[in-house]
Amino acid sequence: MIERLPSGVFADPFELDHLLHHGAYAAIGVFGDTNLELPSVSSNRSAVEIHMNFKHNTSSGAMSELGIRIDLPLHARYAPLHESGYSEVAFGTPDLLVSCSMEGSSEKRSCLIVPSSDSNRLRTDVVVWKIPCGIMSYTNVVSVVTFATALVSTLVIVLPSVLYSKPR
Amino acid sequence: MTAKAPMNLRRLLIGSAVFRLALILYGEWQDAHMEVRYTDVDYLVFSDAASLMASGSSPYKRTTYRYSPLLAFLLLPNSVLHRSWGKFIFSASDLLVGYFIYKILKQRKVAEDLCLYSVMVWLLNPFTFTIGTRGNCEPIVCAMILWILICLMNGKIIQAAVWYGLVVHFRIYPIIYSLPIILVLNPRKSNAHRPSSQSGMEASTRYNLWTAAKSMFSKERVLFGLVSGGIFFLCTGLFFHLYQWEFLNEALLYHLTRADPRHNFSVYFYHIYLQYGRQLSLVEKLISFLPQSIVQLVLISTFAQDLPFCFFLQTVAFVAFNKVITAQYFVWFFCLLPLILPWSDMKLKWEGLGCVGLWMGAQLHWLLWGYLLEFKGQNVFLQLWMASLVFLLANASVMAVFIRLQRFSPIFLQIKVSDSKSGVKSQ
Repeated sequence: MIERLPSGVFADPFELDHLLHHGAYAAIGVFGDTNLELPSVSSNRSAVEIHMNFKHNTSSGAMSELGIRIDLPLHARYAPLHESGYSEVAFGTPDLLVSCSMEGSSEKRSCLIVPSSDSNRLRTDVVVWKIPCGIMSYTNVVSVVTFATALVSTLVIVLPSVLYSKPR
Repeated sequence: MTAKAPMNLRRLLIGSAVFRLALILYGEWQDAHMEVRYTDVDYLVFSDAASLMASGSSPYKRTTYRYSPLLAFLLLPNSVLHRSWGKFIFSASDLLVGYFIYKILKQRKVAEDLCLYSVMVWLLNPFTFTIGTRGNCEPIVCAMILWILICLMNGKIIQAAVWYGLVVHFRIYPIIYSLPIILVLNPRKSNAHRPSSQSGMEASTRYNLWTAAKSMFSKERVLFGLVSGGIFFLCTGLFFHLYQWEFLNEALLYHLTRADPRHNFSVYFYHIYLQYGRQLSLVEKLISFLPQSIVQLVLISTFAQDLPFCFFLQTVAFVAFNKVITAQYFVWFFCLLPLILPWSDMKLKWEGLGCVGLWMGAQLHWLLWGYLLEFKGQNVFLQLWMASLVFLLANASVMAVFIRLQRFSPIFLQIKVSDSKSGVKSQ
């Protein structure tokens, strides 16, 4: 599965590596911008490729469905400022490639399935992640109050220091 | 000072060592069996950097490695012996800090039981024993700072200077101690402090411009400055030669220019986030430095002679007014707290508990909002920012209480100028 991550969302390669060692995936790789620290405006997009192995028993001969669930931990970057206080990030449909091998009585057969993006066959809901972000209209108030608090804290420390009397 | 440590200290250190060993072993188990790791993310960064160094590459190929190559070098056995080697080193440094605290207090004639209680404040602090066992390197820095204090107290200026140059290269923040150290290395103050217990010992210097200049550039000060500066630039030059601009950018310049818009305990985080990408004016940049600079200068000019207390106050202030505050910075002043407690008139009930409650309460309050932002995805930036304002005010208030209740205790006494060449004697 190839999940192309939207701008503002990233996967931590070191976290995924840890999960890989715990057997969560057969293989995993992150491509593109893997910087863990920069905000969204200073970052580029990335993609994650996940390999998983599944076994499905069809010996009964009856048609059966196989349900697969893949969990991928993601992190949000600091989003650009927005008055609503939230930045919406929409996920597209991941690319799926299924390689299967069937063991029959006399010969092995294999197939490769690439699910089409036809909406009739591939039902996906649009996934939207609402990421909290800063509100630009607060900028001046935040700056003024921040520096005022820093100044008050300075006085709280400086005054007792200046008034401190050392023994003679 | 070569006498064996008394039995109680030995028991305390052994017990603390066994406990830390158990924590390291537990950490290995948790890392292997649970999704949430016990080990600090930073430790994995150090280990990866050490592996790169072991294979002949630059440790800075590991993203987010922003430390001296010396740290990666120290952790080379992680790849050869065991991945927990570094944790053992850090925990051993943590125990060494405990021993140094005892040594400093004993040299300052503190009673045995008070020495042990002070050592316990460090060794039994949950923050302390988790930080080393999780793989954070700060205990090494703490041990170096305390060793520098011991060297200064024993008149070993060159040794103190070598370690000081090394610790500033390793972590940069100890540069704030340079001025008080220089001030304290002054055997011939004109307005000498006169301890009442020392009859017949007075500074009797005729004060004129020449004497002032000579006093400002005394042999000890010049020696300390030259040696520590030399060591710092030697390390910087050596590693620049080996790792070029990657070393300079990641290990040095990053820390000097760091302005992280992501939420942290600092009051400035939301201001930085809202202003991110905008070019700040010179006035705005200066204003953000002003509180820190003023506080540092006032603390140094008032308390320099009581060096451990000065270091403690400076460190608390430096962390509190910094543009980025992470929890690991707290250990920088936790290691100095035991050195000042014997001279504090603060009673546990209720001044001491009040300070602990205020500081911890402000921190927990911040963490609550941080949890809602990070794990619940709620927009609580404003509340989180206000919590950081409360945390700064809590730090300042606690400092004010300490200042009000501290008995000034200079680390050196002044002796008669005519009797001594060095003019300095440890108290």
